[in-house]
Amino acid sequence: MSELLSDTALFGADIPWLEGLRSRAKEAFFLPNVKFEPWKYTKLSSLKRDDFVYSPSKFLEELEGCPDDDCDCDCDCGCGCEHHHEHDGCGCNGHCQCSHKPELYLDLPFDAYQIHFYNGKFMPLYPALPAGIEVMTLMQAVIEGEAKNYVGKYIDLAQYPFAALNTAMLEEGLFVKIDADVSLQKPLMFIYHTQTEESLVSNIRNVFVIGKKSSLEIVEYYYGNDGGCYFNNTVNEFYLAFQSNIKHYTFQNEGNNAVHIALNYANVRENAFYKSFCLQRGANLGRNETKVDLLQEKAKAQVDAAYIANVQTTLDTTTDIAHLSPKTSSDQLVKGVASGQGKGVFQGKISISKDAQETEGHQLHRALLLSDTAEIDVKPELEIYADNVKCSHGAACGELDQNQLFYMRSRGIGEEEAKQILIDAYLLEAINRIDNEQIKEWIAANV
Amino acid sequence: MGEQKIMSNVLLKIENLCAKVAGKEIIKNFNLTINEGEVHAIMGPNGAGKSTLSYVLTGKPGYEVTSGNILFKGRDLLKMPVEERAREGLFLIMQYPVEIPGVPVTSFLKHALNAKRQYNGEPELDTMEFIKLLKEVAKESGIDFEMLKRPVNVGFSGGEKKRLEALQMTILKPSLAILDEADSGLDIDAIKVVSKGVNDLMNEHRALLIITHYQKLLTYIKPDFVHVFADGHIVKSGNSSLSEEIEQNGYAAYTKEQ
Repeated sequence: MSELLSDTALFGADIPWLEGLRSRAKEAFFLPNVKFEPWKYTKLSSLKRDDFVYSPSKFLEELEGCPDDDCDCDCDCGCGCEHHHEHDGCGCNGHCQCSHKPELYLDLPFDAYQIHFYNGKFMPLYPALPAGIEVMTLMQAVIEGEAKNYVGKYIDLAQYPFAALNTAMLEEGLFVKIDADVSLQKPLMFIYHTQTEESLVSNIRNVFVIGKKSSLEIVEYYYGNDGGCYFNNTVNEFYLAFQSNIKHYTFQNEGNNAVHIALNYANVRENAFYKSFCLQRGANLGRNETKVDLLQEKAKAQVDAAYIANVQTTLDTTTDIAHLSPKTSSDQLVKGVASGQGKGVFQGKISISKDAQETEGHQLHRALLLSDTAEIDVKPELEIYADNVKCSHGAACGELDQNQLFYMRSRGIGEEEAKQILIDAYLLEAINRIDNEQIKEWIAANV
Repeated sequence: MGEQKIMSNVLLKIENLCAKVAGKEIIKNFNLTINEGEVHAIMGPNGAGKSTLSYVLTGKPGYEVTSGNILFKGRDLLKMPVEERAREGLFLIMQYPVEIPGVPVTSFLKHALNAKRQYNGEPELDTMEFIKLLKEVAKESGIDFEMLKRPVNVGFSGGEKKRLEALQMTILKPSLAILDEADSGLDIDAIKVVSKGVNDLMNEHRALLIITHYQKLLTYIKPDFVHVFADGHIVKSGNSSLSEEIEQNGYAAYTKEQ
């Protein structure tokens, strides 16, 4: 039992830059209250406890040994397969080429390279990936010297206390690197399974480095059991080189006692495009935060989201898009529904620096309040220092349209069914902005 | 009223109906009986509350019945929720059809038809069966099927909206259709479409109630009975020649009588 910041021994304590980063983050971490502006509307009372559990670090041990006694490899994918790959002495550190699906494999309506985390730990079974993409654990990337150039370099820990916590406990997570001119045929899917009755804390950190003119679709799917008051605190960092693009889709469907906080940081270079969509419907408290730096000319971002906050759920969508160069553009559409004692929060900031001329930034948040006890808090912010820009923002909250409801009922559609059709249609406006038809259908089927 | 024997061919019976909207009494002691196979027209000056009648019949929230009875197919209409009235066979062709962004006509109509079929103990149509039916009806009604993939009424012209109302009616086959054109500037092309739909639907078991301000509509749909509505109730009833008389002389004679 411990507080959020644990003294658990972490891998790489002897690596000065890593240890330095962790200790600076440790200093920066605090549990924000409503007086801290970025957390003004989202109360963190459910994290004011000291019964948190960090599963002990078994990073190295877990990678030792193969279920096949005759195999010399370092693989322990847990698939139970007797026929592992040819790994003799390859030092692949767990890259399993066997075609067996792990127990955790999910049958989904779309084909993807599935990567699994179980109770906050990466399951070292790698899908067979095509040439040009490399996936390794973050600590492996630390050993190989790759991680140092990226991890935490651009995240202001004073502004992001939970990124500070994640960084202080930095160990678990993946490092994904894509060469120039590579396009994957299938999305890379990160599935975070949580089955626990404990207050398990997971600080997963993933880093994606996308080469010039390359493109990648990433799907993140979080789900868990309803019992445990677990806490998933994820940070993703995306580095997009010239003319590359990432499409990042997230479905947050955590167990109903869980706390889910995620920060997605995107570092977007010339002509590159970061596009994301996040559906939140699970957890007791869920916050999906996106910070985008449009660093060079014609860098582009589209950050869309939808949320369904029922019962006593608080779901927070926070964005901060920084236009730092000319001709950059951003667009955001967030649509939400709050019912019961559910609460929706949208904080959206667009800042345009004085050099970022001919920039466009648009933002729209619309929400439906379905009960008297539901709540929506909205804070749009525009901070513009350039004079030749096109910017817009809008926020509206309302109830279901009674005329629409009457029209549908007057055609024989039952009241509850009509309401559900209207709610689905409302959220679909944001969901329809997903390009991948199969992923769009999967998300739409889950609202 | 107590027990009352309803003749099998009486579809709708309105007795001593009084109704309020926003606290104001609009319908006062209104009486009307519609039998199967009949076409009735209610005419009246603008602002007389003719549309209120159509909303009271369909059960729109905010329209409060303070006294009186309405029997539809022998059942107490006022005790039925909006959707049940529709499933029983009441259909209002609205003056201003509502736009529903994000809901394609196809899925909207499939929900509506299957709700009615389920209510009548009929098996629901699956998507394939429904689309086949819809394509047939669209072809007969001269509607481009592509239009039906669009969200309900969103971006539709006035004429397209009426076309869609007529198509819905053809699919849902109501026993009593109410055509409300109480005060809209009459779009003749749209009216022709709706009139055709209504005339095609009519048979000896169905009935039609037209609510209008203009006599012109009645040149497309021939009423068996014409009623003049003023001060919340029917002040005069007659056959189709009554509508011609109104066309000549206006409503002044009836409103003065109040």
